[in-house]
Amino acid sequence: MTTASNEVSEIDANARFPLSLLIASAILWLILSGVLAILNFAQNLSPSFLADCSWFTYGRLHAMQETAFIYGWVATAGFAVALWILGRLGGSPLRSLNWTVVGTIFWNLGVTIGLIGIALGDGTSISLLHLPDYVQPLLLVSFGAIAVTGVLAWTGRQHRATFAAQWYAVAALFLFPWLFSAAQAMLVWFPVRGTLQAVAAGWFLQGAWTLWIAPLALSAAYYLVPKISGRVIPAYDFASLSFWTLLVVGGWTGGRHLVGGPVPAWIATIAIVSCVMLTFHYAVTAINLRGAFGKSSISLKFIAYGVLAYVVGGFADAATAMRSVSEVTQFTWVSVAQTQLANSGAFTMIMFGAIYFLVPRIANQAWPSASLIRGHYIAALIGTTLLVGSLVVAGIVQGRDLANPATSFADLSAHVRPWLLAATASQALLVLGNIVFAIHFARVVVAKPTVTAENLFSQPPVMEASVS
Amino acid sequence: MRNGLIFFTGLFAAVLLSWAGIVLSSHAQLGKLTPYFDENEGKAFPLRPSGVAGQGQLVYDDLNCAVCHTQQVRRPDFGSDKARGWGDHQSVARDYIYDMRVQLGESRLGPDLANVGIRKTPYDSEDLLKLLYSGAGTMPPYKFLFEKRALAGRQPSDYAMKLRGDLAAPAGYEIVPTARAQALVAYLLSLNQAYEYPEARPVQPAAAKEGEHK
Repeated sequence: MTTASNEVSEIDANARFPLSLLIASAILWLILSGVLAILNFAQNLSPSFLADCSWFTYGRLHAMQETAFIYGWVATAGFAVALWILGRLGGSPLRSLNWTVVGTIFWNLGVTIGLIGIALGDGTSISLLHLPDYVQPLLLVSFGAIAVTGVLAWTGRQHRATFAAQWYAVAALFLFPWLFSAAQAMLVWFPVRGTLQAVAAGWFLQGAWTLWIAPLALSAAYYLVPKISGRVIPAYDFASLSFWTLLVVGGWTGGRHLVGGPVPAWIATIAIVSCVMLTFHYAVTAINLRGAFGKSSISLKFIAYGVLAYVVGGFADAATAMRSVSEVTQFTWVSVAQTQLANSGAFTMIMFGAIYFLVPRIANQAWPSASLIRGHYIAALIGTTLLVGSLVVAGIVQGRDLANPATSFADLSAHVRPWLLAATASQALLVLGNIVFAIHFARVVVAKPTVTAENLFSQPPVMEASVS
Repeated sequence: MRNGLIFFTGLFAAVLLSWAGIVLSSHAQLGKLTPYFDENEGKAFPLRPSGVAGQGQLVYDDLNCAVCHTQQVRRPDFGSDKARGWGDHQSVARDYIYDMRVQLGESRLGPDLANVGIRKTPYDSEDLLKLLYSGAGTMPPYKFLFEKRALAGRQPSDYAMKLRGDLAAPAGYEIVPTARAQALVAYLLSLNQAYEYPEARPVQPAAAKEGEHK
């Protein structure tokens, strides 16, 4: 599919500044959200920590950390990777990148104002929609501006036939504004009545994952796995069925968090059935992307971890949606662990792999240090695994204690404490790895190319393989 | 997937379908839910919360209390909600029709608050204010909801907190809850799902009812 000449084409050259800007903001948001997450965990261990400062009270800090992660890191990193892929597969240089630059600046501004607004108490208590009402329209408009480039790359593509990576990227860019504005309208501007709000919030929460975050990650994985491994995707015929399964069934999993709640029982039942149906999508994804495993390329190592986390997370979602399981795991750290597995495990790891692959190509500059990449990989690998693992154990302990009415909340928190301590430590490790990543990225961007592009990319796999 | 128009129509239809299926159809079912008039009591339930309680809900919302506290009681045979004294019967949609922003909650790091206004342990506004001021166990203190004022020879305020030990205000000062703290407490005390609606009663022959949903 690729030749060495592709690696130095001007498709990447003109995207250098806009994509670097997106990636730089993404990494900074990731570090910020990681630091906020550490502080938030520390408050679990020592409740009076920062409690006297209303800006950083537990609930607001939690909302800020989530917002910085989703609207900071996920959105901007996802944009960078999706736009780059659409440009590459569209076969011509990205157009209207000025829109992307302006959109990125206003998007970052919007998220910054949003975080300050949450700290001041203007935020909402809706998951993934904590942003104050006054910045949500700004984000919507900025999203549109950034996505213009992607739309043009799609409509102006050289080949009529499209690839799985394109479907996922286009779906993510096209569907998020609909989801986001529908959720705003129903929950913030004209709130629906009573527990319908919980139903709408659940629909948005699951939709954001299945129609936006997961497609962004899959787009990168579907593009890079065959490209780096040099093998075609096995069972590719099933990829489109798997794509439509995710898109059509995904939104119906919205009632997953409402099992046993004050909503009609059919909402939870449909969600459980949908979660089980989605395992078909996860199984096909695992088969399609199995080429990611056991390769020496460092990009693929990140992506392999991400794919594994994605598939395991999908099956875990189906298992915990079951009423008998959710009776214990609902409202516990297990749900937090699942979110972490999806966001930090699947999405973030795949994005790391993609960024390690694409940055040298847009910057015309090799990563200066293989050991820094390896260090980041080890920190991310251990940090994410330990974080998810300790939260799962904490959640099971918590769920059992909650099920036993004789256990007081004081005992419960004592039982959970060691596991939260481990989670805090792993979150710190993740932040450390990400700081290494940030420094490394800054070195690539700042340095002037010393090697001509032809020499740098004459053997495309070298950059990835050089690390191991 | 060569045809872009069909592709985009498909994408849009996928979202629209799930939205219509979940949100719109539950809106059809719940959107016009009315209060239930009990002829024996001569009152309609749920009771409409006071204006102060409504303000308190905004405080609850912006402090994001729902990160640690749920406000939903699950049915007696599903979890230990009843055994823990959080409520005698399950919460139903009708309990929430007056809520500006429903706070079902996502996590139970602290107890459920659906019925905190009628807790068995004597809970009055003074207890709740003390709890907010001092924190308890894993609950952080919320001292920023209180004001420390110099007495400067005045009489202490009627609302001044009666605190003892380490928490007590230094001589010549008093600690007074702000309007936000009082609104929050009024909201918490208004949380009451004691009234049992017909739909909250456990379904006796479970098998027969399940079939109707299909």
